[in-house]
Amino acid sequence: MSRGRAADRLLALAVWVSVLAVAAVFFWILGSLLWSGMGRVTWAFLTTAPRDAGRAGGIGPILVSTLLILGVCMAVSLPLGLGAAVLLSEFAEAGSLFGRAVRRSLDVLAGVPSIVFGLFGTALFCQALGLGYSIFAGGLTLACMVLPILIRATEEGFRSAPSEYRRAAAALGMSRASALWHVLLPAAAPGLLVGLVLGMGRALAETAALLFTSGYVDRMPESLLDSARALSIHIYDLSMNVTGGDPNACATAVVLVALLLAVNGLAAWMTGRWLSRRVLPA
Amino acid sequence: MPRAFTLLGLLALAGCGAGVGTPNAKPATKADAAHAADGEKLEGKLVVTGSSTCAPLVAEIGKRFEQRHPGVRVDVQTGGSSRGVADPQTGIADLGMASRALKEDEARLVQAHTLALDGICVILNKANPVTELGDAQVAAIYTGKIGTWNEVGGSEAAITVVNKAEGRSTLELFLRYFELKSANVKASVVIGDNEQGLKTVAGNPDAIGYVSVGAAESAARSGAPIKLLPMNGVAATVENIRNGSFPLARPLNLVTLPNPTGLKKAFIEFALSKEVHDLIREQSFVPVE
Repeated sequence: MSRGRAADRLLALAVWVSVLAVAAVFFWILGSLLWSGMGRVTWAFLTTAPRDAGRAGGIGPILVSTLLILGVCMAVSLPLGLGAAVLLSEFAEAGSLFGRAVRRSLDVLAGVPSIVFGLFGTALFCQALGLGYSIFAGGLTLACMVLPILIRATEEGFRSAPSEYRRAAAALGMSRASALWHVLLPAAAPGLLVGLVLGMGRALAETAALLFTSGYVDRMPESLLDSARALSIHIYDLSMNVTGGDPNACATAVVLVALLLAVNGLAAWMTGRWLSRRVLPA
Repeated sequence: MPRAFTLLGLLALAGCGAGVGTPNAKPATKADAAHAADGEKLEGKLVVTGSSTCAPLVAEIGKRFEQRHPGVRVDVQTGGSSRGVADPQTGIADLGMASRALKEDEARLVQAHTLALDGICVILNKANPVTELGDAQVAAIYTGKIGTWNEVGGSEAAITVVNKAEGRSTLELFLRYFELKSANVKASVVIGDNEQGLKTVAGNPDAIGYVSVGAAESAARSGAPIKLLPMNGVAATVENIRNGSFPLARPLNLVTLPNPTGLKKAFIEFALSKEVHDLIREQSFVPVE
């Protein structure tokens, strides 16, 4: 057997081992969560309010609050993110000082620890703007956190559209807006999807930024100006602050993971529909 | 194309509209018009912030209070005892929560209402052969003068010192009792909440930590491999906290500006009444008799 062959096999082995190691960690986490939490996830758990500091009862209001916070976050960050991405990729010159400055600051912002966003959100939304502890304040803080990721991924999506698209659209006399809507946006959809999935993942997993913005109240929210507890904060509180809260913390974690998968699936489906409208063949 | 627009529009509408329509949509942190007089209806919102030790208890009390007075909302937030003392003064909160007695300078500005008692005890892993530590030994371990368990009658292993993060009242109380300075504590692990301390010691046979007696008692009862060390020869039990013999105990306080009125007064009276003693016991604390 030649030396090259042996090296090839070694490489293949190394690649397989690393893939299996990564997959094993994922399945370990998922498996232990399901093992210790799945048994408690029932319809009643999903719909009833928590009792005895979360040790008993369900997570109904918390699930609703989480969806509302995510909704506010996405309703704000999606249009802003799309707009900023369009500006960066279509209107700013590729190497311009402005473009570079914006991109650099977005990259720095994307790396800022979430607790910093939490403090910023508390100071701006809760206190300066007088929103107090509320779903609004939490959602807006999350939007600040998610925006950099969303913008950069969507911008990459726009950039991946060949420049022939733009020229062809111009040659056909399409307005810039309609070229953007009919040609470029569908072409950029995969990038947008990546941004959405990463952004929503970060938003749903967030604890530090929400503790002092949307808060700790586990009552069913009556308006978007009510304080409301997110799933991640509920898990944190049950596992770190409430003695005997572990079983329900695991069950809540199972729900959070399932919600994340469902929301990602929904995003993929919606982007897929968008993709199917595209004028140009894939 | 219009469909996608409509969808975005709906999302945006859902975002803005829901807040405007409901009557409760006020960014109020102050308790709104409240009348505490007998028979009159209580209404408004109370924002309570502070100690994470108190938060689950006060949240439960708040829920029961809301049931009695359907027009009232009690919003409980966490952040630590220091916030519990500061927030009622700045107006961020109507009431604060502090799991320690007020300091002298604080007592001039705010008033404390003790709703329950809690004790702090030193805990070890069950596998550790050490059964008792003197105050001087605990202090020596926390300042790094004693580094291995065999110096206090245990194994050869190095001691893992679990300390609380700054701003936690458990830390302040512990330091004051053992006459330690925060800067002199040589900690191997720094933790935040009670439960985290229990887990760290349960998972490490060489660890030493200190947590709330109530939390430790109920964790030990539900099978966590920890043991509660006696303090000065007094066993660390909820019973000994109630009868006042346990040396390292602390009050759980609601904090207000002096002479609270209206809704605040009504809530404090409710939280200090016998009607919530079962809730206090459920959270492993000791009601004030």
